[in-house]
Amino acid sequence: MRLGIALLSVLLLAVAPAVPAGAQEAPAGMKGLYLLTDYPAVTVRPGSTSTVNLRIQNYALPPERLALSVSGAPQGWTVTLLGGGQPVAAAMAATNNSTSLQLRLDVPADAAMGSQNLTVTAKGASAEVSLPIAVTLAKELPAKLTVEPQLPSLRGTSKSTFEYQMNIKNDSGRNLVASFAAQAPQNFEASFTEQYGSQEISSIPVEAGQSKGIKLKVRPPSTVASNTYPVAVRVTAEDATAEAKVQLEITGQPQLSLSGRDGLVSSRAEAGTEATIPVIVANRGTAPAEEIELAGNAPSGWKVAFEPKTIDRLAPGQTREVQAQITPPQKAIAGDYMASLRASSRGETASSDFRVSVATSTMWGIVGAGIIAFALLIMVGAVARFGRR
Amino acid sequence: MRREGSPRRGVGVVFFRELFDHLTSVRMLVLELLVVLFGAVVVYFAAEQIRNTTAEDPFLFLRLFAPPGQSLLSFVTVLSILIPLIAIGLGFDAINGEYNRRTLSRILSQPIYRDALLFGKFLAGLATLSICLITLWLMVIGFGLLRLGIPPSTEEMGRMLVFLLVSIAYAGVWLSLAMLFSVLFRSTATAALSALGLWLFLALLWPALAQVVGEAISPSDIRFTMIGIPTPDTVAWQQGLARISPGTLYGEAVVAMLNPEAQSLTNLLAQFQGRVLGAPLPLDQSILSAWPQIVSLIAGMILLFVVGYIAFQRQEVRA
Repeated sequence: MRLGIALLSVLLLAVAPAVPAGAQEAPAGMKGLYLLTDYPAVTVRPGSTSTVNLRIQNYALPPERLALSVSGAPQGWTVTLLGGGQPVAAAMAATNNSTSLQLRLDVPADAAMGSQNLTVTAKGASAEVSLPIAVTLAKELPAKLTVEPQLPSLRGTSKSTFEYQMNIKNDSGRNLVASFAAQAPQNFEASFTEQYGSQEISSIPVEAGQSKGIKLKVRPPSTVASNTYPVAVRVTAEDATAEAKVQLEITGQPQLSLSGRDGLVSSRAEAGTEATIPVIVANRGTAPAEEIELAGNAPSGWKVAFEPKTIDRLAPGQTREVQAQITPPQKAIAGDYMASLRASSRGETASSDFRVSVATSTMWGIVGAGIIAFALLIMVGAVARFGRR
Repeated sequence: MRREGSPRRGVGVVFFRELFDHLTSVRMLVLELLVVLFGAVVVYFAAEQIRNTTAEDPFLFLRLFAPPGQSLLSFVTVLSILIPLIAIGLGFDAINGEYNRRTLSRILSQPIYRDALLFGKFLAGLATLSICLITLWLMVIGFGLLRLGIPPSTEEMGRMLVFLLVSIAYAGVWLSLAMLFSVLFRSTATAALSALGLWLFLALLWPALAQVVGEAISPSDIRFTMIGIPTPDTVAWQQGLARISPGTLYGEAVVAMLNPEAQSLTNLLAQFQGRVLGAPLPLDQSILSAWPQIVSLIAGMILLFVVGYIAFQRQEVRA
């Protein structure tokens, strides 16, 4: 019985395939050496580099050394055979196995239009195979890469961020890593992020035939004038490029500012008496501000009024002087108080804090002096009345 | 008998004689030593405290007189206790002393009016106190210059000057009071005891009593007590009553002068009104805010003197 099991295992070992990994089973009746490519006729653009994938297939022949050569390349072309990433001059294919090669074509930019026939030859001691490859030169090639903004024109204020969704489609037959750059006007800040993410990126892998979405964020400088600004997006991957143009339409916005005359934000006031503070309202924005309302916050009991109360219209870059009338209460204790003055126009506000020094009326000083004088008068009266020897 | 001629006649003679007597008396020496000793110790500690503080302070020099934080051992506190003591010491036997020594009628037999005698004695007492306070004041400033190494600013000088004047007025109030008692009581011991008793009462008991009386007149409102704020009406009564004591008036005036950003009760009220914290008042506003107190002290001094004057004029002086 034990002998039987041993015999069986030996049999199984013998039946198990003794070919190296990766080898295919030779189709029945196939024998010989072949030089193969998927597309033996290709179209390339002058000035670009293209690669043609080749394969040496050995069916049921003993392996041998095959010297490789390429003939038929016109003057100026650089034709290189690559194997495993480096230039090679010979290849060996094991029995029932294949070796892949790449034919790299560097076509000069001034190459003449038309077709060229290249012949790749693999020559061994017993066998020789050759493969003609037709290379056609053409100026315009179907795009390998496209970039398409979903909404190419956005509108907003100088404070908003413009976000453009874009699709990068890889129409070439290979997986590509597409890198992108945006050319925006000066001081505009442009960055790319993933479609659903916040990480900034500069390139993205796109599989053959697939498309990927990216997002372009453009932040204009806050002082930019209202206008339409173009942004050019350029996507490159190996020898393919694609371009798209998007637009920022920036609408103007008023920006108010409020300050004291000559930058002075302090004032003096007497308790119970109105003090007038000249206040400058300016529009530093890019659109006119309309119906500017003026208001003020002061400690309780204080009165704050403006002359005039509202400004109808303030063009960009214009300033206007108004008078703030601040009245501390009658009983205000001497000292410094803060009053906040505010100008607002439809959501746009500017405010400034003013320091008001309240002084007590000197009238009480005079009253005090009067009391002392009265006391002295009493003394004089007493001296006159009660004076005696 | 009506007086003939100017009541000022003889004032000068009495003034210089009394001044000489005061300045050479042992009593004055003892009082001076007391003040200098107390003042020196307190100012020394204040200076040490200032030297150890690195924070910037626009009124560094004023801190010598009133160090921030602790109020018990400041120069001002010592002065507010010692000024009444000196003033009472100088004035309690002004008239009855002469009377008891039987020199009063002798003086009055000279071509010196009663007016002149009282005026001269009062002015001499005030001058003595002024000399005493000015000397002390200059000593503190000199010590501050030596110890702190920085000169006082103009505003600080102004504040210290007003402080000096207020101190003299405060001394004048107690001098008038002491002289009033010396006119009223024939016994010097009674006069001294009454004056000292009144001083102790006003300085120690009255502030506490004013709180109670104020509370009784206008009880605290529960609405204010709930949020931890003193009732304004009660505070007004308590403050008004406490201000009967010259010590309170002096304290308030001094705080306004020497501690421009101090946390007095008025300042607390000002905060509720929205005043910016830590912003010192300018000098003129400080004087204005302390003006009622200053006026009260000066007017009180004059009126107390007038009462003493009238009492003296109506008195029988022949013994």
